[in-house]
Amino acid sequence: MSTLTLASIYPTLLGTYGDGGNVMVLRHRAALHGIDVDIVIVDPGEPVPESADVYVLGGGEDSAQTAAANALRADGALTRAAEHGAVVLAICAGYQLLGEYFPDSTSTPTAGLGILDIRTDRLPQRAVGELAATPKAPFDQILTGYENHAGATHLGSGARALGMVRAGIGNGDGSEGATSGHVIGTYLHGPCLARNPQIADTILSWATGRELAFIEEPEVTALREERLKTVLG
Amino acid sequence: MGRGEGMVIGGRVILKLAPNAIADLAHDRVDALVSATNGKTSTTRLLATAVEQAGPVISQHTGANMTSGVAVTLASGDPAARAVLEVDEAYLPAIFAATHPKTLLLGNLSRDQLDRMSEVAMVARKWRDMLSGATSTTVVANADDPSIAWAARHAPNVVWVGAGQVWTADSAVCLDCGALLARDETRWFCPQCGFTRPETSWNLEYNGEFGTVHGPDGQSYELHLQLPGRFNAANGALALVATVALGLDPAESARRMAGVESVSGRYAVVTVGELTIRLLLAKNPAGWSELVDVMPPAPTPVIVTINSNAADGRDPSWLWDVPFERLRGRQVVATGDRRADLAVRLLHAEVDHVVIEDPYAPNAPLPAGMRELDVVDCAATYTAFHHLRTTADQR
Repeated sequence: MSTLTLASIYPTLLGTYGDGGNVMVLRHRAALHGIDVDIVIVDPGEPVPESADVYVLGGGEDSAQTAAANALRADGALTRAAEHGAVVLAICAGYQLLGEYFPDSTSTPTAGLGILDIRTDRLPQRAVGELAATPKAPFDQILTGYENHAGATHLGSGARALGMVRAGIGNGDGSEGATSGHVIGTYLHGPCLARNPQIADTILSWATGRELAFIEEPEVTALREERLKTVLG
Repeated sequence: MGRGEGMVIGGRVILKLAPNAIADLAHDRVDALVSATNGKTSTTRLLATAVEQAGPVISQHTGANMTSGVAVTLASGDPAARAVLEVDEAYLPAIFAATHPKTLLLGNLSRDQLDRMSEVAMVARKWRDMLSGATSTTVVANADDPSIAWAARHAPNVVWVGAGQVWTADSAVCLDCGALLARDETRWFCPQCGFTRPETSWNLEYNGEFGTVHGPDGQSYELHLQLPGRFNAANGALALVATVALGLDPAESARRMAGVESVSGRYAVVTVGELTIRLLLAKNPAGWSELVDVMPPAPTPVIVTINSNAADGRDPSWLWDVPFERLRGRQVVATGDRRADLAVRLLHAEVDHVVIEDPYAPNAPLPAGMRELDVVDCAATYTAFHHLRTTADQR
């Protein structure tokens, strides 16, 4: 079968919290499923490829987030790829910048890419700690990760939450993350896919267009059980 | 209770009774404050040892580097002694304002304990504000770290040192204008606004074995430190330049620093259970990126201990920024409270590993050959490191 192309978008700007691990997890799980992948690292200043199958964006500091949003808006390829059904996984600052607007370092609303129907302003207090959420379809494994952000994210009618918060803050209104089509945004670090392999397999299913049976790895299961026991008791 | 915790509690009592205790105890005798993400404790010890050429010096012996630790250090020992103090990055602005140090050493800034510490840019911004108008202090700053250069660039008195910086992932963006920084062999610069690595008057050259510090007038000083690695040579270079700023003899400083064997247990060889281990403190990706070079080559097995207590940072996501791939070809023992996180990281790095809750127990299923090693390298996060260090003798 053909090779999947994974584009890691601006890891120098959006990679503060170990989110580069999401690309490692996709490569690892693709290998478990017998899928060949080609990883393209896109640095700021370089054109974003329009033909990648999966785009991955991580979290970052305020100034880096604004720089990334401006560069991606000027480039345009990520928005076009998402419209054409490419898979996008975006974490924290990357999640916020997929929306209509997000607050910059001075809390001024800054235009995002408009790929997700979400708007982000500031939480009264920074959300820092373990996050756990009951998933919504298509996911059925509890969502687990670590959040560290100050964003209150409001979902419009064009986006659905990934899950409902059981511990932590998430979007700030009891929901966590947002998804629409093949686009997923979330506040989960950890990194997200290392602690939520079902999301990784779903991304690979979407990208390949075929149903993939979930593959369990004992190390990952042990980590999930330990984290969920710590957070949820 | 460990001695460090006792010091912190003692410091809290002092500050409760006398809120201005730090300023009162400091008056004019603080020769230096030292701050950085990595290397604070080692740099402070090297500098304190060098400054002893001028007389008695007080300094922390426990790594207690926040307000209470500084207060209790200043309150103990000879009240006339010079003070050389390490200070936590987040607490530096308040302690700097209270102590008016003669010199301030700024080594590096990188991601660390993001649950507690501000992001790097925010720390740099606070430092920059702190230094505006600081006319009585000479800042000794590492020009190779753009975050340090940005924080110190408008300080009234700066001595720039080319101390090197391997880790660049936290200084990708210009703090002034947000553009991506460019780098070539010897310098970094912003192609958009022109912010550039400052011209240095002192430079470190490291040959894999020892460092040579070159000064502005053609003089040079070899640093034959017992502390290993390029990063310790960088720590020593900053300390040596600070002694020049303090009017001391740099050749004598280099000679004294060479006598420092181990700093608060770093690289100390201790016996735990049936294993003799060398303690390596490894608490963030920047530290790890230089530490792997200090370990013996594969296939020698090593122990890695990861905790996530408050002093380690509660979020071990940073494990995914560590180039653990460089440990391939050997067995790694994954232990510590967050050994499950480490195991998943090592799985993805394709590093053979075994998860063991207590590798020092008599029947622990250690990798083949580990028990036969004279010394096993054990890299540990802050609280794991201190636990091993303080319990080693009793086990």
